[in-house]
Amino acid sequence: MSGQPILEIKELRKHFPVKNVWGTDIALVKALDGVDLSIESGKTFGIVGESGCGKTTLMRTLLRLVNPSSGSVLLSDQINDDFSSNRLENLSHEELRKFRRRIGVVFQDPIGALNPRMLIKDIVGEPLVIHGKTEHLRERVIELLHNVGLGEEHLYRYPHEFSGGQRQRIVIARALALEPKIIVLDEPTSALDVSVQAQILNLLNDLQEKYELTYIFISHDLSVIEYMCDRLAVMYLGKVVEEADTEELFSNPRHPYTKALLSATPSFEKDREKIMILGDVPSPIAYLDESKAKLATEMTEQERLEIKAIEGKGIDYIVRSSLNEVLPLVKVSRNHYARVKSQ
Amino acid sequence: MLEIENLKTNFYTYDGVVKALNGVDLTVKDGEIFGLVGETGCGKSVTCYSVLKLLPKTAKVVDGKITLNGEDITHASEKRLREIRGGEIGIIFQDPLSALNPVMTINEQIGEILALHQDEEVNELAAEQNIPAYKSEKWKGSPGVEFTILAFCISFISLFVMLGQAAFGLPFIAVIALMLLRDYLQKDLPDSALDLMVIEALSRVKLPNPKQIASSYPHELSGGMQQRVMIAMALAGKAKMLIADEPTTALDVTIQAQILQLIKDIQKEEQMSVLLITHDLGVVAETCEKVAVMYKGKIVEEASVENIFANPQHDYTKALLNAIPKGGKERLKVPDVGEYGAI
Repeated sequence: MSGQPILEIKELRKHFPVKNVWGTDIALVKALDGVDLSIESGKTFGIVGESGCGKTTLMRTLLRLVNPSSGSVLLSDQINDDFSSNRLENLSHEELRKFRRRIGVVFQDPIGALNPRMLIKDIVGEPLVIHGKTEHLRERVIELLHNVGLGEEHLYRYPHEFSGGQRQRIVIARALALEPKIIVLDEPTSALDVSVQAQILNLLNDLQEKYELTYIFISHDLSVIEYMCDRLAVMYLGKVVEEADTEELFSNPRHPYTKALLSATPSFEKDREKIMILGDVPSPIAYLDESKAKLATEMTEQERLEIKAIEGKGIDYIVRSSLNEVLPLVKVSRNHYARVKSQ
Repeated sequence: MLEIENLKTNFYTYDGVVKALNGVDLTVKDGEIFGLVGETGCGKSVTCYSVLKLLPKTAKVVDGKITLNGEDITHASEKRLREIRGGEIGIIFQDPLSALNPVMTINEQIGEILALHQDEEVNELAAEQNIPAYKSEKWKGSPGVEFTILAFCISFISLFVMLGQAAFGLPFIAVIALMLLRDYLQKDLPDSALDLMVIEALSRVKLPNPKQIASSYPHELSGGMQQRVMIAMALAGKAKMLIADEPTTALDVTIQAQILQLIKDIQKEEQMSVLLITHDLGVVAETCEKVAVMYKGKIVEEASVENIFANPQHDYTKALLNAIPKGGKERLKVPDVGEYGAI
């Protein structure tokens, strides 16, 4: 089964309206603006980008926690449970419940994701109870805890009695409870120390092997992404600006933003090429009013100031406002797409 | 510049004594960027709070000696400490949004530091340019005082209105009117010397349009801008030493690269010493000259940046370096770090 697309995202858009005091729309936040991705089964698909680029909205639309404005998510037969349609946006309420058995989520902050007043046995068992799988509940919960390296002795404890890494393990155990095919991991290790992070990453790899899981791995930490993912999409302002196999992307980045991102990641290598991205994160708000509608593509004052400051320091730079210009996604080599001017 | 010898800090909790620092020895030389790395709970932040005596009441420095520029500040008086904080040692905290006061404008917050530590310079500039030193006395009273007066007046007015003796409310209305009138008159005052210095402080950290930023509130700025404001505040008192406690943890990598570059530039320009506290070994490799690795309240290894990554000596340092995912797909080595905090 491995290698077949399990989920296909087609032209997915999610626009949040911005209203003024009278309740009329004055602008749109284009959180997702035409995302095309194909997620292969049994692999790890990485999504990187900075805050506000739409990573989390993409995750929420994939789970249909929010409804997309347009576009569709195609479900493959592996996760299609005799649904009336293979398009996620057409599923009824009942079907959505079934669908969510097939897809598990691990959120960034384990403290926020665990109810402080519930026992671990209730937390891990809750999805089973909700979906009516109450037979051998206790044994199943213990088995799930064993899977993530915890044990029976942890059943009657509260989340606050665990360390950060253990809490994340509990969240993973809960995500596994309904035997999902896909697990969406939204920054699963960004709240953890490197040593604990290493444990969790190892655990995730073991579980993937054991249950043939497909991971959608959202992160901003490129070293983690490089370690975990088979394929990778870089998002910027609600669009995928580059998509390629991890090795290819890390060795041969094409989009200027990807280059800057790779260079900005602190590393031990000395004397590598430094590319700095100047200016602040642009606002994803697009005004409906024509006069304001254009995203700023000329250099801002801050960028001018920063250019002046780093001149003569041997640092290459990319002006962020130049990234706002939208280019079509072109194929640069096999399995490698980027929004660059085609040669 | 800063010398710490055998520093021991204990936390007295209901569960017993937590020995957060077990004899820390550290020397930050003039004009040097010194990195302090370690995992959560190893005592990095407690070290810097012990230096500035910003510890909570449950904590106590029990042993050790802290020397700043040859002066023993271990048992400095509160008055002296207030001069040191901001005046001689500037500090940048991890989360700029919670470190900045949400109800004060940037102008007021930076102005406060300048008025406390740079009073002479403000007066000098005022005399030189023949402008008032301070726009108003407003910065001296907290905004709470004005609010209290306003609340009193309004409650008295409504009380008298309820009693049918509205005429008695007139003096209170007059007070409100006077306050509004004062604000209105002060609105169009020319820039004071303090304002000019705030604007200068903001432009030093490469913020565009400093005048507009000075009059805005923290929530109106982006994360990167907030951190720049924090740096401007830390530098405003002309401190010769800067303690940066995880200055870039809350930021995106591209913004992190900008902020680190800014800290490096300013350090070079002003010949400052910087103590950079972080959990990210990559950040240390990019920024620092010397680095100390902390583990369980002790410094286990101290070396120059080149040496520590090429040739780590202590087992913990080796384990920490091994835990970082680096390309390849081989299983991560999980360091055995044991439990945190000796009780």
